[in-house]
Order: sequence, then structure tokens, then C-alpha cells
Amino acid sequence: MSVGALTPVQAARRAERRARWRSLALYLRLAVVAAWALLPALGPSYQVLDLALKIAVFATLAASYDVVLGYTGIVSFGHAMFFGFGAYAVALAAGRLGAPTYGHLLLGVLAGVLVSGVVAVVIGAFSLRVKALFFAMITLAFAEFALILAVQWGALTGGEDGLSPRMPGVFAAGAPGVLGLSGRVVTYYALLAACLGLFLLMGRFVHSPLGRTLQAIRDNELRAEALGYRTFAFQLVASSLGSVVAAVLGGAYAMWVRYVNPESALGIPIMLDVLLMVIIGGIGTLEGGLVGAAVLLTARTLLPNLRGLGGSLVAGSEILQRLSERWLLYFGILFVLVVFFFPRGVLGTVRGRAGRRRRTVMPET
Amino acid sequence: MRRAVPPLVGAGLLLLLPLAAIEPRAWLTLTVAGLAMGMLIFLVASGLTLIFGLMDVLNFAHGALFSWGAYAGFTVAVAVDARWGWAASPSVWANGGLLLLAVAGAAVVAFGLGVLLERVIVRPVYGQHLFQILITLGATIVLEELIRVAWGPNDQVMPVPATFQGSWDVADVVVLRFPAIAIALGLAVYAGMQWLLVRTRVGLIVRAGVENTEMVQVMGHDIRRYFTGVFAAGSALAGLGGLMWGMFGQSIRPSMGGEQLIFAFIVVIIGGLGSVTGSLVGALLVGLAYNYVAFLVPKAAIGVTMGLMVLVLLVRPTGLYGAGR
Repeated sequence: MSVGALTPVQAARRAERRARWRSLALYLRLAVVAAWALLPALGPSYQVLDLALKIAVFATLAASYDVVLGYTGIVSFGHAMFFGFGAYAVALAAGRLGAPTYGHLLLGVLAGVLVSGVVAVVIGAFSLRVKALFFAMITLAFAEFALILAVQWGALTGGEDGLSPRMPGVFAAGAPGVLGLSGRVVTYYALLAACLGLFLLMGRFVHSPLGRTLQAIRDNELRAEALGYRTFAFQLVASSLGSVVAAVLGGAYAMWVRYVNPESALGIPIMLDVLLMVIIGGIGTLEGGLVGAAVLLTARTLLPNLRGLGGSLVAGSEILQRLSERWLLYFGILFVLVVFFFPRGVLGTVRGRAGRRRRTVMPET
Repeated sequence: MRRAVPPLVGAGLLLLLPLAAIEPRAWLTLTVAGLAMGMLIFLVASGLTLIFGLMDVLNFAHGALFSWGAYAGFTVAVAVDARWGWAASPSVWANGGLLLLAVAGAAVVAFGLGVLLERVIVRPVYGQHLFQILITLGATIVLEELIRVAWGPNDQVMPVPATFQGSWDVADVVVLRFPAIAIALGLAVYAGMQWLLVRTRVGLIVRAGVENTEMVQVMGHDIRRYFTGVFAAGSALAGLGGLMWGMFGQSIRPSMGGEQLIFAFIVVIIGGLGSVTGSLVGALLVGLAYNYVAFLVPKAAIGVTMGLMVLVLLVRPTGLYGAGR
């Protein structure tokens, strides 16, 4: 072989790298990041900023669930529990250790990560070996237990009322802020950066050789095992990573809303929301979480306003009145239809279409 | 049935264990209450045993069917009571008639919904667990919201026949009346299910169909129709369970099913997938353990169901009576 000639693999890699700069997906991603980064400059109302950051946090949370559900094929119902661990850890560290400092905040995040990691490994170690169904049930049971614990252990967690910790420095309510930006906006950027970092981390993870192995296990566990992979260890790593990311996001959420209670951070409803976000966006797409979170959270913010409108249109009958009030009903019907007709979600379907078109064009190049 | 002996002995020993800490009379009261609670749980779990244990469908809509059964039974009971005043009547026959009509109403409505669910949304996703979860979750949302539309979002007070309120006092042991009825009903359901599944031709075909669907179809049986029947029967049992829980608690609300669903899943897992006896023993174990622990260490009662499941799965990963599928 002559010097300088490329091996086929090298040539393919180089072509891939060059193609990356021409791909639409990259610019779409950059545009999304830019939109979120530039939003505060438009001077939006508090609600819009709040919605934007919540979408960012929940999109990342849905992506971390997708690592477990879509890329590893493990059905877990405990993901919201890890989110709650992170949220409670930060709230406790900031609220119960005297005057809040940045050190406390860091301590809270680390504690949340540590607790989540340990619990995830323990749950996984003894339930990933048995039937996949049992993992779902055991995580569900643990999540329920954590919820009950948070409600009952009022001395520590504040019970149903939850905690509303004060945050340190620029993260505090009504903080003066820096560089002409208000404290709220600084917090927004800090948390947005955290979400972006976690997103990149997870993207790197699922496209690494380890991530590829996980997908192989998901698609055919027996075959992966026969090829010599210790499937159990791989699944354990993936579920633990997803849990730890969820814990960090829980901390971020607590820093933003400065309020944590069992219902808003730990409950089964949060778990269902995240599941719905992943399904709407598309299982196994990672970025689908953003679509799902945007759709779900925006709908939840806007629909109660529409409800009043619907109510005034059908003022006569009580049943019709109630029918117009239950937007969740239509959401449920829509959800069933989406699962039936677009089982790969919005992004999965779009990608599938785009991929098919590219394949029909590609051969002559 | 030799395999079944160790769990039974274990369960028996567990029954006696709290005697060391509780005085005998209180123990007896707790045991009766525990058995009653266990039977009520079994009523819910028995339907899930058919759907989840036997047919391997992760049916999260079971909780919604439970609520629907409660509301359907409630409507029948209220209508009957309004027409003939059977709830407050001192006559045992009138009271029993009310209960029977309510039970029938709950079972029929849940059965119909079960047929609908199986035909429309469950049939396309047999064998795909994730999609079963998703689609039945969607169905749960829709069914619960429909309850809120039809009956309103608030709690309703369930009429309970006069005969079944209060308690009997048998040799200083307090026996609540309604749970005693529930025990009888639970035993009847258990016997009926065992008979149907083990002794009849229908049961044989269903069990064979679960093992090997194609083979049974080759033999000339329309296995899909049998599966619809099993799913609907499981749904009817969920509705029955909902009605009994509603009468036990004397109030019903749209979200009541979701709370029971986790309990029922845990019981089926403890008992072992596909075993009716297993879920009976599992339900009784959960009921008893809950009552004992709630008496001894009230704060720990919340975690006892989960602890029991973890313990059982550690010792027997396939559940007490699981065949290890």
C-alpha cells in the first residue's frame, strides 16, 4: 500500500466528517441552542423565560430517560425518583445547613448524584438479572416508597408542603446579578449551560462503542451475550448514568423554582410526563425529548386558557361543559393515536423519512 | 402440587411469628382483619393474574377498569336504593339483593370495557411490553377522564347495605362484617377460577394457548376469541374488586384505581406469574403482614409490601408459585 493512501475506514470517516458540516441536523441543533441562548435578550415576560428553562430541563431529563429506555431497552418507572433525589438534595443542602453558600449547592448536587448512583446500582444489581418486567415493577415500588418517605418524613423533607430553600449569591430570589444581567437571567444561563453539557455528554455516551453495545443488547440480548458481552454490566452502567443525570437535573430544577415538594419533584405524574415526552419525541432519538417537552409543557401552559373559551361556547349542557374542561381526555386520545400510528414519535418519524430519501439519492455518490 | 408445599409452610410460619410480640387476642383480631384485607386485595389481583400473569399483557388500564367497576356498581346501588330503599332496609334479603345487583352492574360494565380494550388497543401489541405499557397508560388517562366527565371529579359516597355495616363480636374478636363478606366472595372467586382454568376444557385451551398459540390454532380453536374472553373476565374481576373496595372504604373517586394497581402488580409478582393460588397466597401475605406491622411499628407499615416483594424475589426470583417462565 502506498504512503498517503487512505484505508476504506479512514476514507469513510473523513467523508462522514466532511458531510457533518453540510448536514441540516447540525444547523438545526445550533439554531435551537441559539434560540434558547438569545431568548433573555428579547426581554420576555417571566412566564416565557420560566417555560423556556423548564422545557430545557425536562428535555434533558427526557433524553436521560431515553438513554435508559430507548438506547438500552430497560423499562424503568423510577426515573422521576432520581430527579426527586437531586431536587431534594439541593433543597436540603441549601435550606438546612444554615446560610446558603455555593459550597452547599455543590454539596447538594454531589449528594444527590451519590445517592442516586448508589440506589440505581443497588436496584439494578438485584433486579436487572431477573425478568425485564420485574425491573419495571421494582422501580415502580421503589418510586412509590420514596414518595411515601418524602411525605411521611416531615421533619426532614417538610412533608406535603415541601421545602422552599433560599439560594446562595446570584441564584437567590431578587439577586442583583452581574454584568448588567439580572440574577434570574444569570441563573437561566447557568442552568442552560448545565443542560447543554449533560446533553452533549449523553450524545457522546450513546454514540460511543459502549453505547453501540447497549443498542446491540437492546436489539438482541441473547446474541450480544453470545458475542461475549456481559449484558448485565452494560445495562447497569446505562441505567446508573441515566439516574445520575436525572439527579443533576433535579438539582437544577430545584435551583430554578426554589421549591420542592413530593408532587412536583418525585411523584408518578412526573414519571408519566417524562415517559410521554420521550414517546411523543421519539424513542431512541435523544433530541426527541426536546420536541416532547416543548409540546407537553407548552400545551399544559396554554390549554387551561383555552378551556375558558371552550366553556363559554357550550354553556348549555353540563356534560358538554365537562367534556370541554377535560383537556387531559383529548390528550389521552391523542397519545393513544400517536402510539398507534407514529410509534417512533415525531423525531423518529421525521428521521426515518429523511433517511429513506437520502438512501435513494446516495447510491451514485 | 408437591411444589406448592414450601411456600404454604412458609406462609403458615409467618402467620405465627408475630405471636411472639402480640398478645393472642389482639393477634386473632389482626389476623382476621389481615385475611379480610388480603381477600380484598386478591379480588383486584385475581383479574391481573389472568391478564398479566397468564396472558403476559402489562395492563396498566386495570386500575381504570377497577374505578369503572366501582362507579358502575355505585350507580346501580344508588338507583336501586332510590327506587326500593334497599340499602337502609333492615331486611337481609333486600341488602343482599342490592349488593348482588351492584356486583352484577360492576362486572358487566367492566366486562364490556374489557372486550372493547382487548379488541381495539391490546390485540395489536401482544408480545410487545413497552407498547402495552404505553397504550394501556393512554387508555387509563382516557377512562379516568371519562369518569370525571360522567360522574364529576369529586368523591362520591357509596351506599352500603345496613346488614353489612358494623362488626360482629365473636368471642371477643372483632370481625368487621363487610370484610367477612369479602372473604367469602374472594374464596368463591378463587374456587371458580381454579375450577375454570384447571378442570374445564376452556381452561385447558387457554393455558395451552398461552404456551403455544400457533399450535392451538392449528388444532382448530379460535384462540383470539378465547384471549378476548380471558381479558374481559380479568377486567370484570377488576370491576368487582373496585366495587368491593368502594363499599369497604364507603367512598369512591376517579383516581382510586391507580393506587390499587401497584398493590395488585406486587401481589401478582409475589405469587408468581400465572398462578391463581400464588396471587391468593401473595394477597393474604400482604394483608397479614401489613396488619401485623401496622400494629407493631406503625411507621414501618408503608414499606412492608415492598419489603415483602424484595424478600420474596431474593429467595425465589420467579415468585412463590412461579413456573420460572
